[in-house]
Amino acid sequence: MEVLRKVGMRDSIIKIILVSLVYCGTVLSTDIAYAMHISEGILPFSWAAFWFILAIPFVAYGLYSLNKRSREDMSFKPLAGLMAAVVFIISCMPVPVPFAGTCSHPCGTGISGILVGPAISVVITAVALLIQAILLAHGGLSTLGADIVSMGVMGSFTGYFTFRILRAVRMNLAVAGFMAGLLADWATYLTTSVELASGIKGESAFLPLFWKVLVAFIPTQLPLGILEGAITAGMVILLYKKRPDLLIKMRVIKPGDIKMEKQGMTALIISVFMIGTILSASIPAEAAKWSGVDEAVIEKVAKEHGREAREPLINMEQGDLPLFLFLIAGAVGGFAAGYYWRSLIVEKKPLCHSEKRSDEESKISPDGRNDITHRSS
Amino acid sequence: MILSGYIHNNEHWLSRLDGRVKLVVTLIILVMVLSYKGLAFHLLVTSICLFLFIQMKIPWRVFLLRFSEPALIVLVILFLKIFFSSGEGLFSVDIMGIRITAYREGLAEGVSIANRIIAAISIMAVMVFSTPFAELLAALSWLRIPKAFIEILMYAYRYIFVLIEDAGVIYDAQKNRLGYTALNRRFSSFGILVGSLILKAFEHSQNITVAMVQRGYDGDIPLFDQKPFNLSEVVVSFLFVLSMGVVWVI
Repeated sequence: MEVLRKVGMRDSIIKIILVSLVYCGTVLSTDIAYAMHISEGILPFSWAAFWFILAIPFVAYGLYSLNKRSREDMSFKPLAGLMAAVVFIISCMPVPVPFAGTCSHPCGTGISGILVGPAISVVITAVALLIQAILLAHGGLSTLGADIVSMGVMGSFTGYFTFRILRAVRMNLAVAGFMAGLLADWATYLTTSVELASGIKGESAFLPLFWKVLVAFIPTQLPLGILEGAITAGMVILLYKKRPDLLIKMRVIKPGDIKMEKQGMTALIISVFMIGTILSASIPAEAAKWSGVDEAVIEKVAKEHGREAREPLINMEQGDLPLFLFLIAGAVGGFAAGYYWRSLIVEKKPLCHSEKRSDEESKISPDGRNDITHRSS
Repeated sequence: MILSGYIHNNEHWLSRLDGRVKLVVTLIILVMVLSYKGLAFHLLVTSICLFLFIQMKIPWRVFLLRFSEPALIVLVILFLKIFFSSGEGLFSVDIMGIRITAYREGLAEGVSIANRIIAAISIMAVMVFSTPFAELLAALSWLRIPKAFIEILMYAYRYIFVLIEDAGVIYDAQKNRLGYTALNRRFSSFGILVGSLILKAFEHSQNITVAMVQRGYDGDIPLFDQKPFNLSEVVVSFLFVLSMGVVWVI
């Protein structure tokens, strides 16, 4: 702003430029900001029907599970309704995405998937989507099937299974919640890209359009996924701290899991490492074909000056040498990881004085009797 | 957030029409709109809806709010289709050394999709503006939508407003305690807000269950009684759908 002022621009003109820039950014990425809910009329009848048919079994199974759970617990139906209201509000909240200069909104389906299970979460999402379509024209009646598949089915199931798998390998709540939210969000947008591309492709080829839609999503969805991960982790931790009984009731954690979990830096490092792994795996294969600075500049200049490149002493591109080295690395890494597995995963219990004493007291004597009993006798 | 739903206008004949009839007619026209390949039918539907909006005296603000999001989507789809298709070039623009070409086929496809979206949104808007939510639920229930789904829909609709109010209170409290001031604080404040909303949802669900059990709730809410159809309404609606069907075929 100061630079523009120094050049002699008036404040009003600077404001117009800034507003235009923000507007352009928003319009060029609107499919990101709003396309989580595919709008009414975008999909032709055949595709709309296809997504409906795909969604119906999931909704039906969700309703069956809901009826079953509500027979056990009478408050479950009101709870599902209120969760639908929460998902409605979460997916209407505009969240500024700093890197994209626009607003977008989280899905909230990862959270509901974790809390009430993926099948019931599909029903909850369907209800939230239907109300949004009716009240806000956010999504639509004809695209409800497609929206249920992307947000409800993909979001809930991805969130739920990510959380469960990470908890099964004894990852702490924050990391499991973060990854569940992140992957649920990205899975939703991946499916939405497929749905959008197939719906609007017309006579053109599917794959190029799909890549364009997917690339258009990246500037907003990449940071928003991380944001949703952070929100999900924050929400799980808050529930764990304030009402662990609710998490037990919703079968998110077991009663034995009630112990202070380590959060903070460890969670952050593991999350960043996992995101890095996922991102590096998703780099297109074409990127590997791009020549580096060695081939493009150094070799070229050296050749011009009559210095041809020699064959390398150890040629990594021939034979099975890389495979052999990879095997050795795998064996060493596998051994190290296996050997230190427990110290990596199992948290050390802080033994306070009273616990230590009670541990000592409860030692079983060689003749099979409790020490205390033994002492008293 | 503005929930631009039913506009109370009892004087208009469309508001007095049976919700079930309106829902069925809307669904049939929606299917016609989605399966039509061309412009004429979409333009006809949009014009009829526009006429009805004006007749129903829908406030401009509500109208703009409802159509702003679809309008942006229409713009994006037009942009994608015009500039990222292939075929005969329409015109080219040089922007900072990058040559962008607009394609004739892309423009035709984009306009067709845009028309379809506007027509579909308009027909839905006519139904929503003229029908109270409870009447829509009754119509959905008459269409044999599972009872559990309708019940969840009712709870959700009832508690959206309560939770929005709760969210507003929590948000104000967070702002007063310097929440949302930096990026990391923004993340944590938003996480706490969502977590608190879920806690509120749990509390409300417990309270409402206790209150309902004391009033005889046994796990199921009795749904709406359906009144008999008005024959003249059904006949007129059938004739309207038939005439639209003729236009669709032509």
